[in-house]
Amino acid sequence: MDYFFVLMLAGMSAAMVAGGLAFSFLIAPHRPGAIKNSPYECGEPPIGQAWVQFNVGYYLFGLLFLVFDVEAAFLYPWAVAFHGLGFMAFLEMGIFLLVLILGLAYAWKKGALEWV
Amino acid sequence: MSSFDLYTLSPLIVLCSAPVLVMLAIAVRRSHETSVAITLASLGLAFVLVRQLGAEAPRQITPLIVIDRFALFYMALIIAAAFVVAVQGYGYLKRRHVQPDEFYILLLIATAGAAAMAASTHFASFYLGLECLSVSLYVMIGYLRESPRSAEAGLKYLILAAASAAFLLFGMALVYAQLGILDFAGLAHAKATQTGSDMIVVLGFVMMLVAVGFKLSVVPFHMWTPDVYEGAPAPVTGFVATVSKASVFALLLRYFSAMDPHLYRPVYVAVALTAVLSMLAGNLLALRQDNVKRILAYSSIAHLGYVLVAYLAGGPAAIQAVSYYLVAYFVTTLGAFGVVGTLSTRGEHREMDSIDDYRGLFWTRPWLATAFTVMLLSLAGIPLTAGFIAKFSVMSAGVGADLARLVIVLALTSIIGLFYYLRIVAVMCARPAQSTAPVGAYVPEEKASRSGALVLFALTVTLVWIGVFPAPLIGILKTLTLGAH
Repeated sequence: MDYFFVLMLAGMSAAMVAGGLAFSFLIAPHRPGAIKNSPYECGEPPIGQAWVQFNVGYYLFGLLFLVFDVEAAFLYPWAVAFHGLGFMAFLEMGIFLLVLILGLAYAWKKGALEWV
Repeated sequence: MSSFDLYTLSPLIVLCSAPVLVMLAIAVRRSHETSVAITLASLGLAFVLVRQLGAEAPRQITPLIVIDRFALFYMALIIAAAFVVAVQGYGYLKRRHVQPDEFYILLLIATAGAAAMAASTHFASFYLGLECLSVSLYVMIGYLRESPRSAEAGLKYLILAAASAAFLLFGMALVYAQLGILDFAGLAHAKATQTGSDMIVVLGFVMMLVAVGFKLSVVPFHMWTPDVYEGAPAPVTGFVATVSKASVFALLLRYFSAMDPHLYRPVYVAVALTAVLSMLAGNLLALRQDNVKRILAYSSIAHLGYVLVAYLAGGPAAIQAVSYYLVAYFVTTLGAFGVVGTLSTRGEHREMDSIDDYRGLFWTRPWLATAFTVMLLSLAGIPLTAGFIAKFSVMSAGVGADLARLVIVLALTSIIGLFYYLRIVAVMCARPAQSTAPVGAYVPEEKASRSGALVLFALTVTLVWIGVFPAPLIGILKTLTLGAH
């Protein structure tokens, strides 16, 4: 029975979305024209295809940032609880950081930090 | 955690530090040979440590991991398979224009994950091991990124494995929400009256079974198997077919042996149904394939169905039958994909996997063809190979547990299986067509790399050896006990 309200909530949200779509479909005026149907009604007509190769070099920086971002997320609770954890926790965090630093060294050597 | 605990964990510690070491070696100086050497040395060291630990088992270390004889056996199996894959990968990657070194990092991480799963007694260690394994596999499957098929297979596996991981996590969350338990022993102690009738708990278990079924590639979660097997580099296919499945199966044995599956009738029936469907669909669909890797993919679906029959038998008989079957399956599958990988010497985008590539192989590469024939006969369960004893022990476990209907399906579908295995053998025996030059390799100067041939030879010998003298292996399997008593 506890889950009945979850079901009700799911039903209500579905009904609201479907109702909004259906209502606007029913009452909105529908007069398409050549200009209205052109892509980006208020912008420029596209030139060429979108399927071209473009440089995604920044993803490497994104990945490296993510690694150290997650590291920070682990470091905070560790630092807060540091006094109760003892020497073992210090050692474990040291190993964790060492692996990450070696990973950075690998990425550096591989040239991931160069902008190409 | 005492220093003795650390000693008990040493195989896992070696497996976890080896990838860091390889990474460091690559950062200092990139050399294929160095990477392989470190990989093989650390796998060898881990294997020796596993052997050493046999006397110390069983030992529970934190609530997450238990090192018992069962876990050690499966770790040894996984490490040995990784060793074979590393050697096969060396020969395979040497002939291709990819940077080979990172392959070994991924292989070691995947091996560490699989080994951790074999020893896990807790949802947390289970999930962490599974993710270590899966995330490495995404990249390993798509390792030949210049090849569209390999990339497609990697992406396919990524999406489906991620979806199945979501099922697994949700199932764990549902069980935890109702029972507040995350470790397997605790789940076993939770009273059947409390859990057996609780729909949410059963739903949680069924969702976990979906994820497990995906990893084992049993029907109806098998759709990814042929495509991924076909697209992945042959050594990786061998790894996916063996290590990733055996680690999940080890966990399944540990997990459901902890609690009586008969208490969860719906779960039990679902597994039985899955086994029947896998045996039927795997064998029937394999009949229509013209690609050796796809045939082996469907055959692996059927084989997992057979193993599930033994698994359903329950008790110590199940552990022995399943473990024996998995050993035989490991040797044959690694050998079969090793042959495919050894033959695929040319071309970036295509392996020697069409059945026409094998026409007349007996006349051009007799030794490889002989090894492949032995592997196929073992998969078919012909006497004097390990496959026969394996199938026999599965059947006797099934009969012992009164699973007559499942055993009948097993016997009938095995006969269907015989057809497509012998079809490959027949194609290999046929005279090579003189007019059209064969598509793939067999140019005399492109010999299989010596290490790969040596591993193939060892696998073939092992297969016949444990088929003719199964007693020593069965003796080891009899000592496999679960848990820290």
